This record gives sequence, structure tokens and C-alpha cells, in this order.
Amino acid sequence: MSALVCRVVAFFCLLRASAAVFEDQVGKFDWRQQFVGNVRFAAFDAHSQASKKLLVATEKNIFASVNSRTGELFWRHVDKTGQDGQIDAMLVHGQDAVLVVGNGRLLRSWETNIGGLNWEVVMDTGSFQTAQLIGLADIVKFVAVLKKSAISLHYLSNGHQKWVENLPDSDTVQYQTVYSSGNGDVFVLGLVPHSHIVVVAYNIEDGEIMKQVSVEAPWITSLDSSCAVVGSAVLLCVDPVSSSLYTLQLNAEGRAEFVHIPLQSLDLEAEAGFHPVVIATQPHPARVPLKEFFLQLGPERFILLQLKDGAIAPLRDFNPANLVAFATTGEKTVAAVMSPKNETACSINLFSADTGRRLLDTTVTYNLDPNGGKLNRLFVLAFLKKDDSVGYRALVQTEDFALTFLQQPGRVVWVREEALADVVTMEMVDLPLTGTQAELEGEFGKKAAIQDGLLAMVLKRLSSQLILLQAWIGHLWKLFYDARKPRSHVKNEVTIETLARDEFNLQKMMVMVTASGKLFGIDSKSGTILWKHYLQNVQPNAAFKLMVQRTTAHFPHPPQCTLLIKDKDTGLGSLHVFNPIFGKKSHIALPTLPRPIQQSLLLPIMDQDYTKVLMLIDDQYKVTAFPSTKNVLQQLQEMASSIFFYLVDSSQGTLSGFRLRKDLSTELMWEVVIPAEVQKITLVKGKRANEHVHSQGRVMGDRSVLYKYLNPNLLAVVTESTDTHPERSFIGVFLIDGVTGRIIHEAVQRKARGPVHLVHSENWVVYEYWNTKSRRNEFSVLEQYEGTELYNSSVFSSLDRPHPPQVLQQSYIFPSPINTLEATLTEKGITSRHLLVGLPSGAILSLPKMFLDPRRPEVVSEQSREENLIPYAPEMPIRTEWFINYNQTVSRVKGIYTAPSGLESTCLVVAYGLDIYQTRVFPSKQFDVLKDDYDYMLISSVLLGLFFATMISKRLAEVKLLNRAWR
Amino acid sequence: MSSPGGQGGGALSTRGAGGARRMKWALELSLSNTRSRGDRQGGQGDTMYPIGYSDKPVPDTSVQETDRNLVEKRCWDVALGPLKQIPMNLFIMYMSGNTISIFPIMMVCMMAWRPIQALMSLSATFKLLESSSQQWLQGLVYLVGNLLGSALAIYKCQSMGLLPTHSSDWLAFIEPPQRMEIMGGGMVL
Repeated sequence: MSALVCRVVAFFCLLRASAAVFEDQVGKFDWRQQFVGNVRFAAFDAHSQASKKLLVATEKNIFASVNSRTGELFWRHVDKTGQDGQIDAMLVHGQDAVLVVGNGRLLRSWETNIGGLNWEVVMDTGSFQTAQLIGLADIVKFVAVLKKSAISLHYLSNGHQKWVENLPDSDTVQYQTVYSSGNGDVFVLGLVPHSHIVVVAYNIEDGEIMKQVSVEAPWITSLDSSCAVVGSAVLLCVDPVSSSLYTLQLNAEGRAEFVHIPLQSLDLEAEAGFHPVVIATQPHPARVPLKEFFLQLGPERFILLQLKDGAIAPLRDFNPANLVAFATTGEKTVAAVMSPKNETACSINLFSADTGRRLLDTTVTYNLDPNGGKLNRLFVLAFLKKDDSVGYRALVQTEDFALTFLQQPGRVVWVREEALADVVTMEMVDLPLTGTQAELEGEFGKKAAIQDGLLAMVLKRLSSQLILLQAWIGHLWKLFYDARKPRSHVKNEVTIETLARDEFNLQKMMVMVTASGKLFGIDSKSGTILWKHYLQNVQPNAAFKLMVQRTTAHFPHPPQCTLLIKDKDTGLGSLHVFNPIFGKKSHIALPTLPRPIQQSLLLPIMDQDYTKVLMLIDDQYKVTAFPSTKNVLQQLQEMASSIFFYLVDSSQGTLSGFRLRKDLSTELMWEVVIPAEVQKITLVKGKRANEHVHSQGRVMGDRSVLYKYLNPNLLAVVTESTDTHPERSFIGVFLIDGVTGRIIHEAVQRKARGPVHLVHSENWVVYEYWNTKSRRNEFSVLEQYEGTELYNSSVFSSLDRPHPPQVLQQSYIFPSPINTLEATLTEKGITSRHLLVGLPSGAILSLPKMFLDPRRPEVVSEQSREENLIPYAPEMPIRTEWFINYNQTVSRVKGIYTAPSGLESTCLVVAYGLDIYQTRVFPSKQFDVLKDDYDYMLISSVLLGLFFATMISKRLAEVKLLNRAWR
Repeated sequence: MSSPGGQGGGALSTRGAGGARRMKWALELSLSNTRSRGDRQGGQGDTMYPIGYSDKPVPDTSVQETDRNLVEKRCWDVALGPLKQIPMNLFIMYMSGNTISIFPIMMVCMMAWRPIQALMSLSATFKLLESSSQQWLQGLVYLVGNLLGSALAIYKCQSMGLLPTHSSDWLAFIEPPQRMEIMGGGMVL
């Protein structure tokens, strides 16, 4: 299916002879990885032996099917974000998967083979409690949905409602569980905390209340984890306070009462401070649950117990054990127990559920990733082997959202890093030079030339050339060797050892920081995860800021990245310093940060070991430097008067600028207050530090120059009105000099609303907003020019700028809402710029900046034509050939990262959101590279032919001359 | 110079033995016998000339005493040559237009290159003019003519916009200004 779509798209691309990729370029320099997010529900599709589907529903509101052999996605359904699309429950029966979505608003049934929707039912809104498959006479026919005040029964085949009944006393009783064993009754269990349990039995046919009992239970607090139905309709609860078990016969005639069984009588004891958990299983919804159940008494202690004739007998004590799970195949139910083996490994074993005996040859060893998180959950797929013994595969979910699929005997089939579904920030770091490259670099550096004499240099040169020759021959040999192998084997694996910069620096290391606190190092060429590191104790809502303190250019010093993590609750910041190529944490003495961190600032000042200085500003506006060696402090003292920083407090509506003092304290330079009750600062953007502007001006039609106002300290500040009424809402765009606080330009867009997406680069600001009057999305561009004269062409100081710049503005209609906006970036800034627009459809549009030019004339003149200005047209087109990701849509694109490559024409692009997509863009086409389809054969054969023709004709001419001389 | 007169002046032939048609040499006295060979160069009349006689007059190549006026005239021709080319160049300029494409560029190059070449070989031209009495005046005229020619070429370049006379032509060489302040920061994290 997808292959067909791919072909069709490629065909249309060819048809248009467009700037997009050609079919044979698909996947050549781009790749996409699809993720689903942290798994909330997982189920194996076990209805047939050969099935290899794993169904997952995730916290990102995604329902997907994963190929359990490869870990790839079969299909994926992306629902709305937020509460509306939240998946509350997933029930799998046969080929159907029933989902309850949006707090019980929707009930959907999916066909699991191809992911088609069977049916969808809209239900009454209400707080969802639980859903359960209900069987009758050994056939699963219904699904029951329990809400706070009602229970409804739906047919599994078409979703039609069989009946809906209000629950008695639903304002006082909390109904939490539904139970049915397929005998025609549906039990709904509710409780009043510390008082009693209510059991209501409904007739499955008409929803009539068959029985309603209330049982005294002054110890009860919740039904969810401490109670379960075990065996034939016996409710089993555990009370942590009195450390005892209670059983209740649900379908008993007459007065029902809890039977009290102290844990002591079973020689068991709950660990102090631990709330015991009952884990039971109902292998088939139309049959009674299993008699056996697990009782978790401590974080690492599980006991398999059996309920037989009202008496509880322990079968086996698992101490220590990390995780347990039941799995059923055919008539057999097994318990899988994961127990720690040593520091770095765990082993999973299968135990027969009814006896507690260990099954032979079922051990799977699972090696814990030292850079991963703790174990979280275990899912087991059991199957019957040919000899009727039970085999299984296990899915282990860890705290860092990784899914590991294991096969006997301990082989990791695949690993999915679902943390990558939520990338927060990223950087691209150059790969290190190879040994030979580095040697050459070092050899002919300036230092070396001074130290060594002439002869030594010549010898060095010769030796390095020899090394190069050797490397080249090795490379040739490898090519020759590989050429004989079939093509599929040639694809050489990228490993950390073989990482080296290519000649055009097109391959880089992508350092990605995810919201879960897991860091990844991904090879940008292939998308292979080369390293990962899980930061424990990172709050879910922490703020991250990633900085490259030392690049790869300073061999032999290793590159260094620093991640600033700010805890939202305490405000305290912490630093994680690591090598971005290998992911190893570096053992540098970190500064102590006792006070909450407000912001950080990476200075272009370097230490002796080429580490850029990171300044951390705390809530008292004191500055901590990292690294803080003597050299750095001295440099800081010298430079202090020219180091400025600004802080934006959105809640107060203040922008304030500070200057560094020699003693590393700060003084307030300026403050701009934007009244927070009228408008709120939503976005502040400066220019990127690594941006180069090649041309200092623009050539006019009369060949004069309009110089750009290239203020590196300029900030673009966006405010949105707090009043959201369409007639009164507005957005404000301010251009503020970050050093002096001077407002360079101010624009208020009336009848406009956010969210505003903004790009600030060179001398222009492009932003996008929603026009509430015309109800459309609009792009607006602001460009600043100094005029035809440069005020000071050698230095730029914000403190000495008497003339305000000319600001030009133009707006355009854009036919689509956008998710994110970024501009391309190249090495020298010669290549024309494109805007990369992430659309909600998942496409990434490469929009030439030429279309967003406030000098576009309404009336075409000779001069405007000379300047190649496109005449103004209010509508901005979306051309499908501008989609850089053809059919590789990036769901919920959240950010786009651009990085320059070694080629001036090429810009590396990474789009991240739910998926990650990496590609290269060529805004001015590939002017410095030969085309892919360049005919080397033709050119070289023509050259060779001409060469030989010259040789031959020369010879012939000589012969002829000689002959003539003889005549 | 193997003129037919040299070889075929007299006709002498000797027949080789054994009827072979190759002969070392032949002096044919009667022409009737040799018609059949056909490879005889033509240009011979029926009359017979002695060996070494040519019926064409040999040009007189010895240097003659020139007329003074003739030399002057010739030198003025040389001196005025560049000036005479100017109207022609103007016409070409007008015809080629101001668009930048391969032909106008070639024309402009030629127009510019010819005077430059002439100016480079000025000493050779002066040597040519040495014999004239108005050598200096002629030299000056020649120089002025060439300068005018190159000025014309420059004007053409100017009108085509090929001269870097505008500030925009030097835009690429402007270095980005050095920034005096270091600034950074952002929203409170």
C-alpha cells in the first residue's frame, strides 16, 4: 500500500519536473522514523499462531500495530492530542480491538489486521471508569463500559447499544470494576471508602438489576489495585493496614460477608510502607478468572497464591522479583516472573500457574542497559510449541519509554526507543576527523611549522602522504571486495568506532534531548542510534537547554555538550556535561548551583582548552561561569563591560537587560514593561549565533545598494492580547535592541490571534498568525534596512547607532495553518534562504524567502524587474513539489532544526515531532555538486576518445609531413 | 621550384631493355610519341625552347628608390588606421545593443583588445614610421586613435554595465562588521 502511494507521488514529482526529489533519490539522503510514544496498553494479537502483531495504545493518543518480528509499525492511528483523544482503555478480542477514547466519549472498534475502523459509537460524556469484554455462553459478544453513574453494554460486532442503566446511588458510591464470567450476570462493584462495598448484578439480556448487596468493609479505600476477582466470582481484597486478605463470594445466596484471612496465617508479611497489590488474570472474558493470583508484598517481592475452596495457599514465593505477568495460550496459563540475576542482567522464567512449578528451558536473560531506565512493565506472549510445551516472547517496558522485545534464549529481537516521540531540543555536532585527517590537520598547522625545520617538515609530508596512500588503497580494496558481495550485505553498519567526518561534512551527530530525560546520539546519515543516556530523576515537566561548549574542531580536546536541566518545581538547575560523539558523561567539576537558575548564556569567550564559557544567571541576577578557571575569570573581567544579557518574564510582562560587572554581579541597564493584563509576551527570539550573512546589502535596480540593518543584538518579541474576542484581539511585534533596550520597531496587528510562529534571521522577521477578521492564516514579513549609506562598516555597536533603520513590511495569505517555522542555514550564507514550514498535515514546505519580501512591487517597473522581484500577490501558493518530505509525513511536527553542512549549497534539516525526519535541502539547487545523474561514463569516454584521437592524428600528421618531405 | 620548364624543356627518352615501361630518364624530342603517358605537365606550346628558358618574365625584386610622397602617404595610412576604425566600431556598438550575451561580449572584447594590442606593439609601429618626416605627429595620431578606440570600448562596457563603478559592485567585498557587544538570554526558563 505505502509502496504504491510512494510510487504515485514519485510519478507526479517526475511529471512536474520539480525541485522535489526524484524517485531514485527517495531515501538516498533522507530517512524517517515513526514512533508511538510511551505505551499505556499493549496486547499481543494471539488469535492465530502465525500472527506477529503487537497492538499498542499510548500516552500520545496513538493506536498502532507493531510487527513483533522487526519492531516496525504495520499501521498507526494518530488521534487528537490532549484529553479529547486520550485512550482510556484497550480491549482486544480476536481480530477486534475496542478502544474507549476521550474519557468515555467514543467507543471504537478496529480491525487489527489492516487497522481499519469497524465501527465507532459516540457515548454520553461522563467520567469513564472501566471497560470490560463480556461473554455469554463461551462467546464474547459484548463490551461493557462503566462510567461514574451508568453502565452500558454494546454489541462487539457493530457497537450498537444493548442497554444502558443508571447505577444506584451513584452520587455516593464510587463504581470502579465490572466483572462477568459469562454466565449471564454482569457484576458492577462500587465502594464507599472506609464504609462498604456495593455489588450490583445486572442481567446481561435486559440490564435488569438481579441483585444488589452492600457489604460492610470499613477498611476499604480503593478497588483498583488492591482488589481483584479470583476464581469463580470471589472478590479478593488486601488491606495494608491490618495486613490481611479478605474474600467475598459475589454470587452467594443470602447475606454476603467478607472472610478475613490474616497474612500471618500464611506466613507472609507486607513490607513496611508498601501498599500490597493483587494481580489476577481472567484468561477468557466468558470464563471464570484463574484461581491463582499474585500478591505483591514489596517492591521486589511477589507471591503466587491459590484460592481453593475458600482457602488460600501460597504456591511459590518470588523474592526478589522485578515484574510478573500472566500469559495464556490455549488452555494453559503461565506466569512469567522477571527476577534480577546480577547487577546488569535479569532473567525471565515461566512458571506453571496452577502448580507454581518452573517450566524447563524457559529462561530468558535480559541484559539491563546501563544507560537505560528501570524496569517498568512486562508483557508476555505465550504460545504452544510443536511438542506441546510453552514457548514465549516477552516485551519489557522500561522507565525511559523503551520497549525491548525478547525471544528465547535471551535474544533481543528489537528495541523501540519511544522517548524519541517527544524530542524537546536538539543540536547537530560535527563528527570527529579520522586519525589520518587529524594528523594532517595537526601537521601542517601553524604551530608545527614554527617548531620543526624544513627537512622534518618534508619528511612529515612524505610520511603523511604515505599514510593517505595506504588509506586510499585500503579503501579501494574494500570497494573491490564489497563489489563481489550481494548488494544487501554491503550496507555497512555505522558504529561509534567507524564514525568519521565525510569530505563535505554532510554526516553529523544529532544530539536529541527528549522530555523523558533520555538523551540520544543519532547518526544523521542513517538514523542509527549510536548512543543513549537516560538521566534519572528528571521531572516530567523540566526545562532543557542544550549547548555545544566545544566543537569537534579542537583536536585532541574532545567535543563537549552541556545540558541545562531546570526543575520546574524547585527552580533549581543542574548541568549534565557529556561528549556528544560518544555520549559519555565527562568528569568535569561542575559548578554548584544553590539558587534557582533563570537563564544561561554561551559566550564566545574560550578557555585555554577551547571550551566556550557558559554563564548561568540565578534569580538574584548573580552570574556563575562554567568553566571558571583563572583564565576565564580574567577574560570575563576584561570583557565584562561588553557582556549583556536580557531576561523576559512572561508572567510579569517585563523585559530587562543587564550588564556584567567585573565582580560577576550585574547591573540593570534597561527595562521594558508590557502590561501583562492587556497582552502577554509569548515569544522572544534573537538571531542564531552561528548564522553568517554573506551580503551586507541588497542591490537595487539602479545598481545602488540598500544596506541591511544587521543588528546581532536585535530581539523580536511577540505579544498576544489577553482579550480573545475576535474583534478586539491583537498581536504585537516588537523589535528591541537587547543591549540598549531601544524599541527599534513596533507593529500591532489588530484582529489577529496567535499562536504566532516566528523566524528571525539576517535583517528580517517572518511571522505567522491567525487573522480573526478574515478568518485565515497570514504571513507577515518585516525587513530592516540602514539605507543607502552604511553608518559604520567596520564595527557594530548597539550603543552607537544614531539612526533608526527603515522597516518595510508586507503580509500574505497562507492557505494552511502551520505547526512550526524555521529558516534554512548554510555555511557562508551565500545560498538563498528558504523557510521550512511544518504543516499540520505532516508535510514540510520549503518556501523560498523570495516570496516573503516586503519590496515585492504592486506595479512592475523596469527596476523591480532588474532586481528580480516577484510582483506582489496576496496569496502565497503551496506547491506540492515544495514539500521536501514527499510522502514521508511527519506527524505532529513540533520543531525543525537546521544545520549547515560543509557544502555551501546544502542545509541539513531535521524535523521532529511524533516522527523524526532527516533530509537535506538545496535552496539554490546543488550549484557546487555534480548532479546525481551526471554522466561520468560519457564524459570520460569522450575525453579518452579525444585524447586518443589527438594522439593518432598527431602520429598521422607526422607521417604525412615526412612523406611530403620525401616527395 | 620544380617548374615544368626545368624538366620538360627538351624531350629525351631512352627505352629500357626487355620492353619494360620504366625508364631511368627520357628526353623526348618528338611530342607525338609521349601523348599517351598523359602525366606530362601542360603549359607547353608547340615551340621548343632551350633548356632553362622561361617564357614568363621574372619579376624585378631589387629594392627601388621610393618616392618620398609615397612613403609619407603610406605612413599616414598606418597612423590614421585606428581612427578610421572608430565609425565602424560605433556602428557595431549600436548594432550589438546593451544586452549581455555572447555576441555583444565578443564584440566588446575585440573592440577593447585591438587598441590594447596596438598600444602594446607601439614601438614596432614607430619603427615602421621611422622613415617618415612627420614621424612624431603620425605616432601621436596613431596613439590618440588607439586611445579613442579603447575609450569607446570602455564606454561600451559602461553602457553594458560591465564596469564596477557602482557601490553594488563592491558589495561582496564588504566584510561583516565586528560586533562590539556580546548579548544573549531569553525567557526565564
